[in-house]
Amino acid sequence: MSVASQDTAIRTGRVTRMLIYLVLLLFVLFYMLPLYVMLVNSVKPLNEITGGGMMNLPQVFTLEPWAKAWSSAQIGVEPTGLRPYFWNSISMVVPAVAISTVLGALNGYVLTKWRFKYDTILFGLMLFACFIPFQIVLIPMARMLGLMGMAGSVWGLVLVHVVYGIGFTTLYFRNYYAVFPTELVRAAQIDGAGFFQIFWRILLPSSGPIAVVSIIWQFTNIWNDFLFGASFAGPTSQPMTVALNNLVQSSTGVKEYNVHFAGAILAALPTLLVYIVAGRYFVRGLMSGSVKG
Amino acid sequence: MGFLDIDNTTKSYGAVEVLHKVDISVEEGEFLVLVGPSGCGKSTLLNMIAGLEEITSGEIRIKDQVMNGVHPSKRNIAMVFQSYALYPNMTVGQNITFGLEMHGVPKPEREKAMHEVAALLQIDKLLDRKPGALSGGQRQRVAMGRALVRNPDVFLFDEPLSNLDAKLRVDMRTEIKKLHQNLGTTIVYVTHDQIEALTLSTRIAVMNGGYVQQLGTPQEIYDKPANIFVATFMGSPAMNVIPAKVEIENGRPVACVALHDGTVTTLPFSQDNMAEWQGKDILLGVRPETITDEDAADRKSKNIAHLTNRVVVTEPAGSDTFVSMTLGNRDVIARMRSDAEVRPGADFTFAVNMEKAVAFDPATEKRIPA
Repeated sequence: MSVASQDTAIRTGRVTRMLIYLVLLLFVLFYMLPLYVMLVNSVKPLNEITGGGMMNLPQVFTLEPWAKAWSSAQIGVEPTGLRPYFWNSISMVVPAVAISTVLGALNGYVLTKWRFKYDTILFGLMLFACFIPFQIVLIPMARMLGLMGMAGSVWGLVLVHVVYGIGFTTLYFRNYYAVFPTELVRAAQIDGAGFFQIFWRILLPSSGPIAVVSIIWQFTNIWNDFLFGASFAGPTSQPMTVALNNLVQSSTGVKEYNVHFAGAILAALPTLLVYIVAGRYFVRGLMSGSVKG
Repeated sequence: MGFLDIDNTTKSYGAVEVLHKVDISVEEGEFLVLVGPSGCGKSTLLNMIAGLEEITSGEIRIKDQVMNGVHPSKRNIAMVFQSYALYPNMTVGQNITFGLEMHGVPKPEREKAMHEVAALLQIDKLLDRKPGALSGGQRQRVAMGRALVRNPDVFLFDEPLSNLDAKLRVDMRTEIKKLHQNLGTTIVYVTHDQIEALTLSTRIAVMNGGYVQQLGTPQEIYDKPANIFVATFMGSPAMNVIPAKVEIENGRPVACVALHDGTVTTLPFSQDNMAEWQGKDILLGVRPETITDEDAADRKSKNIAHLTNRVVVTEPAGSDTFVSMTLGNRDVIARMRSDAEVRPGADFTFAVNMEKAVAFDPATEKRIPA
């Protein structure tokens, strides 16, 4: 084969390359299949699904299931659709992400630029938060929320997620700030900037990449959380994930698969959006936070 | 009382004392250079003056105000860092005025001060750029501008030139010196480069192992080093330290030095008090440039000694030729004119200016005072 003689690390033979692309294409199809099934079935009338042929393209295209999932489907006992729960989720996720990211940044700032005795031990202890399984804290957390009068409220959920998120956000920001030149902080001190002025004016403006990592990570985790939402939320504060479960699991009436599919996509949309918008910063930030340490 | 007093100051980390009783008094307008090998405590001392490191014991006073425990921003000092430490997210102009802004100076005054400093340092065209878009020399200027704009009592420089390439370093060195001459500011400058120390300073503190080895004018440090460390650290190539024995010849004290083949030659001392050392071993300190050929010997010197010795290596360096030989079993370097006719392997008659020679006590390594 004359092509084979050109094989180098850079130029691979055409046949090999085709094979590689073929395999990659198969993987893409394999991974895209669930999304395809969800999308296709969410725009079909129910009878097309129950009549079999889940893989077929819709014969009648309809957005009815989407509208129903959003605004009129039976969630538990109320025919409200997912809409109120979507806003529950938003009003839980946004403050939780913001607070845990800011606190993580502050922790990272203190742990690297205002070193004190035993700070590494403290940091090590904070890392435990990353390893404690959710289930262990359910009962003590429920008791604490009750004592604080935050049980069944959105703010209770925000608190839980902030507490759980600080471990991760601190880890990210500490590693990022560890390689941030300390001379800058000292120069700012001599210039007369205080603790928070140095943080806002010098460190935060340079923290873009790691802030994106922290926000994506926290957003995905908190949005997708089911356990805390199911355990600590009241009827009016349940997040999207719990509502989706109630939608799909409701045992009365006909199982409206097309509505379920549409609801599932609605629940996944915000995280998808975050990844599409900020995804490329995610990898960049992960790298900048971890390579040097 | 000086302008800046460092009074019996020590620094310890836990049980380890890294700076031992440092005592330096700096007058207004002085340019003090702290010089020494890395780890000698010079940067620690500078950071203590700046207030970035705590003082373990003793006092640091600026204008008779005790600075122990005073916040860096309230000491009226400014510091130029080795890495320049320019704020990457701010423009050059914002970098320069940040300190004024933090001290609550109103905007019109800040702008005025910024333009004055920028004009002085010729960076007025860079004011809207970010530090990332500047060259090393420009960043250096901005860092100095940031220090100057505050109009501080004391300027602190922490190895400011060590990140620049060789040519730029020499240029900036001259500029710092000009700036000091024009503004008459008080400067404390840390460096490990002995040439920077000698060229810039009005006084030098040579440090090693947490001790100030010698404090004096560049001339004193160079001509009358307090001990062997200072003698060999300052000057390039380093001062030759040759084992010798003191004898009396024709009523004058002389140093007996072994040549390459073991035969002994004598070099007469200029210092009469060396007679007290008769029969004892000393270490003779001779700067390379005081060993020359006969034609280049210092005509003003009253004490030129001659010795004929085997040349080991010659190293032409353009303006000079460095010639090495063996004296007292040590390698000794002579700094000759570039056109001196010296050949490796051949014998050559050297002229040694003994007026400039110094002697050290081998036990204490201290210079024997004349």
